[in-house]
Amino acid sequence: MPETIDIQMKKGVLGLCVLAVLARGESYAYEIASRLSDAIGMGEGTIYPLMRRMQSDGLVDTYLVESSAGPSRKYYRLTSAGHRALQDQSSEWRGFTDAVDALLDPTPTVTQEA
Amino acid sequence: MTKDQFIERLKAGLSGLKAEAIADIAADYEAHFAEAAAAGRSEADVAAALGDPGRLARELKAEAGMKNWESAKTPSAAAGAVLGIIGLGALDILVLLPILGGVVGTLIGVFTAAIGIFIAGGVLFAAGPFTPLPGGVAAAMLGGVGVMAGAAALGAFTAVLSVWLVNGLIWYGRLHYRVLKPALDN
Repeated sequence: MPETIDIQMKKGVLGLCVLAVLARGESYAYEIASRLSDAIGMGEGTIYPLMRRMQSDGLVDTYLVESSAGPSRKYYRLTSAGHRALQDQSSEWRGFTDAVDALLDPTPTVTQEA
Repeated sequence: MTKDQFIERLKAGLSGLKAEAIADIAADYEAHFAEAAAAGRSEADVAAALGDPGRLARELKAEAGMKNWESAKTPSAAAGAVLGIIGLGALDILVLLPILGGVVGTLIGVFTAAIGIFIAGGVLFAAGPFTPLPGGVAAAMLGGVGVMAGAAALGAFTAVLSVWLVNGLIWYGRLHYRVLKPALDN
């Protein structure tokens, strides 16, 4: 289904960022949201629909952790499918940014052929 | 807006979804308010950052309808997805509706015609051996099969066109998200 590059890129990158955050350590939505809003300026309400979608896609699952203050927190962790998605998407992202970087580079590196 | 007002308006806007889904979504946002309060933020501040709860509810509902359609391409799922998009209330979608109505009417007409032609082909095939038709029995039966195949093709073509139309509409509807659109733009 066609989508504008803009929306598609942002959607993909957001998901990738959440996967990356969760790969560093299991976390709850508020913490993920505040990390991402610091890092890439994501609106904090955006995280909940995204987490629901990732959960229904089987990339993350949840468990409850008792909190010292207030109600228990819903923690998210990557499933094995989530780890695979992170691997695939990050290598895709690296390949993409490398290609764009190479185009933006004012002095193209000349590859020497043996 | 206080936390209670936000949650109440969100829940009201989500009515129509499964009770379980509404409770899940509301619990997420209640936890968000609790975490923010623990971090020393005011309810009004958090509510403002989250955006209009009514709008959020409409977009969540539209998204649920589209998800439904993506997992099962049934007429009722299509109707649900389209209703969700209409619920977004964008003016250009409302302007688009009458035109769309014409297209949908035409598709339904063609599909009905395909069913009629298919039945006619079946009748020709079945009646072939018993009716004195010019060209003989074999020609009548072959002709019947041909007509049925043509009708099936026409029906399939209409179905593909309909799926394509709903998908296009969903793509267009998603462009109208304001709250859900990943707010990457600073």
